[in-house]
Amino acid sequence: MSPDSAPARRRGAGIAWGLVGPVLLLLVAFNVFPLVYNVVLSFTSRELVGDDWRWVGGANYERVFTDPLFAGALRRTALFVLCAVGAELVLGFVLALALVRGFRGKGAVLAVVLVPMMLSPAVMGLFGALVLNGNYGVLNQILGGLGLPQPQWLSDRGLKFWSVVLIDVWMWTPFMTLIALAGLSSIPAQVHEAAAIDRASRWRVFTRITLPMTAPLLGLAVLLRATDALKQFDLVMATTGPNDAATQTLSTLLYQVVFRDGKVGLGAAFACVVLVVVIALATVFTRYLEHLRRAREA
Amino acid sequence: MRALRWIVIVLGLLFSGLPLVWMGLSSIKQRADAISQHPRWIPAAEAPVAPDSPRFEATTSAFRDLASVHAGAQASFWEHLLNSAIIGFFSTLATVALGTLCAYGFSRFRVPGEKDWLFFVLSTRFMPPLAVVVPVLLMYRAFDLQGTRLGLVVLYTVFNLSLAVWLMKGFLDEIPRAFEEAAVVDGYTRFGALVRVVLPEARTGIAVTAVFCLISAWNEYGFAMTLNSSGAVTVPAYFAGLQGNIEGMPWPQVAAGALVFVAPIVAFTVLVRSHLLRGVTFGTVKQ
Repeated sequence: MSPDSAPARRRGAGIAWGLVGPVLLLLVAFNVFPLVYNVVLSFTSRELVGDDWRWVGGANYERVFTDPLFAGALRRTALFVLCAVGAELVLGFVLALALVRGFRGKGAVLAVVLVPMMLSPAVMGLFGALVLNGNYGVLNQILGGLGLPQPQWLSDRGLKFWSVVLIDVWMWTPFMTLIALAGLSSIPAQVHEAAAIDRASRWRVFTRITLPMTAPLLGLAVLLRATDALKQFDLVMATTGPNDAATQTLSTLLYQVVFRDGKVGLGAAFACVVLVVVIALATVFTRYLEHLRRAREA
Repeated sequence: MRALRWIVIVLGLLFSGLPLVWMGLSSIKQRADAISQHPRWIPAAEAPVAPDSPRFEATTSAFRDLASVHAGAQASFWEHLLNSAIIGFFSTLATVALGTLCAYGFSRFRVPGEKDWLFFVLSTRFMPPLAVVVPVLLMYRAFDLQGTRLGLVVLYTVFNLSLAVWLMKGFLDEIPRAFEEAAVVDGYTRFGALVRVVLPEARTGIAVTAVFCLISAWNEYGFAMTLNSSGAVTVPAYFAGLQGNIEGMPWPQVAAGALVFVAPIVAFTVLVRSHLLRGVTFGTVKQ
């Protein structure tokens, strides 16, 4: 039964493929095949309704790269990822710093604080539209009670993008808190004791110990959130709809092109360009994971 | 420093909790109270006389209304909840079964190119649904799967495989091989050892994986609204469909429905609370 005897290994390989094969086949069928199909579609004039189409060469790509809508959506998505994930990181980390030491009722507090990230973005985005409503939203009623200005969160052109960011921050700050807490609580007590003996200032402890020791996990959290924020669709659909020039992201633009305008070929070309960006980011991400794991094993 | 710490904790609690409290309050209002210009936040037995009173008449009518069909929808909330439950249940079942077997293969056997395959599995998670929805839509049209429960079950099963494989691999790696080897020595077949020894050992991992797959299927919106906009509509797509109807959003009913919809998720979150970190990081961070 030695695992290294040649026949056993060959038999083992058979079982192994039998176990992992179905999953890999399914993933290829639903990820690789659509990818290839997308590339084919992107060279056609196919529309959502009707079977009348022809090959159009690179015309769709020409439109993608000259269309200001695409450039705008790309810029907006990048800004969204940067601002939402940045704010979530800072707020989540501060909250984790406050929560890291034990106190009575910590479990209950954590439960409340962490709940938003488990909820449905589509449903919470819709509810966010009620809370943020300029005329009867409770946020403005609170602001009014405090004597503060009451802006039109979701209809002001300059503001609605930030309102979507705000809802995203509400949903995903807990995610950063959760991961930052894990990083903070993994710092051994001896390190802090040693710092205390050396009479290191709070600031020095923070910049020389706390931050560097939690940085790898925070990096992981940022990557996970960034790849997710890049897909931003649900919140925008729930608050402003897909065709609002102030909030259109890559995903909602794709929705608009394919399902409202019915331009499947053009949408496929958009999708191909988006996928190149996503695959590049995913590569960075998986490399980082690998690096992190090797660092933890060492 | 101590005071500052508590201020941060209280602010965090309010930031996370208040919207949910408001959801609860909105669900027991009449529509007029839900969109009143004056804040109404104190439930009372009777409607107040003063128009700017913070009190409102508490009512369960929104919950009773969940059984009725609103403008802009084809069925009641409960029917859509049933769609969500059926799709969530069967896709979770399939994902966990396939994912566990696959993870067992990666954990216990030498698969050529194992690392590359595992990262391929993970990378499928980064695919924006809207970027692959066109080919999937055309495929589903060809197979008549558009607007069916089966269509979304298959899609969510595939969509969650990356999560299930990675989570289960982490859990299975923690179970010593000696357990199965001992079972094989005792006369079990490899499969027998898996079923009788490994799976019972991995039951926590299986439960945690199932909860995360269920939550992800439960909350999904992109595929749900593009593929199943007119048949087998799930709850997130149903709520979104109520937007922009002539009568305006039935806010108390939306709040009541949302409350019913998120309640199981909150319960499951509490159940897996000690594995939350693991679940959201694909099993790469363990506590």
